[in-house]
Amino acid sequence: MFSLGFINIPVLAGKYMKNKKIAIQVDDLTVAYNYKPVLWDIDLHVPEGVLMAIVGPNGAGKSTLIKAILGILDPIAGSVCIYGKPYEKQRKLVAYVPQKGSVDWDFPTTALDVVMMGTYGQLGWIKRPGVKEKKASLEALEKVGMLAFKNRQISQLSGGQQQRVFLARALVQNAAIYFMDEPFQGVDATTEIAIINILKELRKAGKTVVVVHHDLQTVPEYFDWVTFLNVKKIATGPVKEIFNDDNLTKTYGINYKVAVNK
Amino acid sequence: MTSPQIEIQLIAAVVAIACAIPGVFLVLRKMALISDAISHSILPGIVLGFFITHDLNSPLLIVLAAITGVITVILVEAIQRTGLVKEDTAIGLVFPALFSIGVILIAKNANDVHLDVDAVLLGELAFAPFDRLLMGGVDMGPKSLWIMGSILLIIIALLLLFYKELKVSTFDIGLSSALGISPMIMHYGLMSVSSVTVVGAFDAVGAILVVALMIAPAATAYLLTSDLKKMLLLSVFFAIFSAIAGYWMANILDASISGSMTTMLGIVFLLVYLFAPQKGLIAVLYRQQQQRTEVSLLTFLLHLNNHSETEERHINHLQEHINWQKVRSKTVLNLALKNNMIEIDENIVSLTEKGKEFTDLALEYIITNKDEKIEPMKDDFFLFRG
Repeated sequence: MFSLGFINIPVLAGKYMKNKKIAIQVDDLTVAYNYKPVLWDIDLHVPEGVLMAIVGPNGAGKSTLIKAILGILDPIAGSVCIYGKPYEKQRKLVAYVPQKGSVDWDFPTTALDVVMMGTYGQLGWIKRPGVKEKKASLEALEKVGMLAFKNRQISQLSGGQQQRVFLARALVQNAAIYFMDEPFQGVDATTEIAIINILKELRKAGKTVVVVHHDLQTVPEYFDWVTFLNVKKIATGPVKEIFNDDNLTKTYGINYKVAVNK
Repeated sequence: MTSPQIEIQLIAAVVAIACAIPGVFLVLRKMALISDAISHSILPGIVLGFFITHDLNSPLLIVLAAITGVITVILVEAIQRTGLVKEDTAIGLVFPALFSIGVILIAKNANDVHLDVDAVLLGELAFAPFDRLLMGGVDMGPKSLWIMGSILLIIIALLLLFYKELKVSTFDIGLSSALGISPMIMHYGLMSVSSVTVVGAFDAVGAILVVALMIAPAATAYLLTSDLKKMLLLSVFFAIFSAIAGYWMANILDASISGSMTTMLGIVFLLVYLFAPQKGLIAVLYRQQQQRTEVSLLTFLLHLNNHSETEERHINHLQEHINWQKVRSKTVLNLALKNNMIEIDENIVSLTEKGKEFTDLALEYIITNKDEKIEPMKDDFFLFRG
């Protein structure tokens, strides 16, 4: 009986979880702005190697969740583990793409320079980026099809190009886990496809990718894992199993069809 | 030049450079007003330090004032965090309060000593060479040159060490924090350096004008370059230029040196604002004019593209069809002709091969908004440059 139960455990946990390590583990996470909780008691276990969308209405706390995982915001309760250790000890395993609107694109710098910033984490304090970092950055720019724009001032790039530069900056971090906050916001269809293809490549290479996503229609096509969030966690798991009317209604209320068709 | 003259210019230049470097980051962080707040609110720190040491150049005074500067920033942020008022209001609340404490302290206790409100507000560079640093009876030069020189060296050393950290925490707080380059440390580091600089410069240029020294060179450089390193170098250049030119302006007009330096900064900014090749007012107006013409040209070409019937393409009827003034029609027609985009045969205008190609590309750009296709056209046409 005992051995039988032991064999069955991975099956019970779902076929996707089989032999998979937990890349991101969030326990009882609560985050508040001015004492008003925007995330309530979030438990989230993300297995290694999934491409996961975080979906939910505006103000659901999607960006906040990412920022709290990355230690950019201090939670008032709960804990976060990246491969079993606190984020501070695992920084080099994690790459982050903030919302495009969160930075000043008039900042006096070039596309290549922005990508180089991705190497700063590995370099640590004081050490300057050198030949190796520059080479890696150029390769990342090439991967996102932006090599021709390497010396372009960033304000002279289109929205889609800026997003690609941000993606290149994450690629150069050469991480195990990628967090992206609305990478498809304000980009055209070609860029969206280019970005999702790169994300799928990352997953194929065994990386874990977490994306704050708005377009519900593309969730089944782009992602294999999904988390429904609306201040509280509604559901998390494989898209095939949990991306359904029931969870959508719970997350978006009765108007979720409007959200799907927007 | 006499030696005090050289010394004054040297002090002015060192003060200006020391202010310009942190100024670049304040401007990029949209914190120009904070430097105003710091420069005023450090007054109580200076006064307290003065009461303790009775020496305006004492290091203790600089430390106390710098602490007051950082306290200012903390207070502003605390008030802002309540969510009841915005940042500018918070700044407006904090610094007059601290400044007025300083003013009262001076008025009550230091009336007959070398610390008066005028000197605090405007500074006096002309007296700087009189206060000498004596070491074992040997004259080592003006004290304020030593103080400001040391501050400048510290600033340059910090800039070289933490350039990368300053850049990333200024550009992208989120990434910086995620990478482990604490934006908080960089923020308070920059605030401390700014406070120290302001205190050092206080003696020379006073509380009001020091703001100009921090902000104007950076703002001017910002209009000229899109590279952070060049922006820093240009700021330093403008700082030195305004310091020296300001000194001679004061000399000729027999006016305040700090006032003349600031006026110089203003003049330089105005000139750059007008004539900067990319962001300058004249360049922008010219570009808008060009864009207007190019839009007209495109409208015209599209019209030709859409109409095969000759009456729509008759040279004399174009005006009514596109509904333009005569002058504008003529300009556009000439522009198209000059670029070999149209040909006129018996007063009937038609597109050339080049014109067709251009129109197709432009149409595709308008429809798809894709940049790649029109990359080569960007050099010739303003319209397609973002």
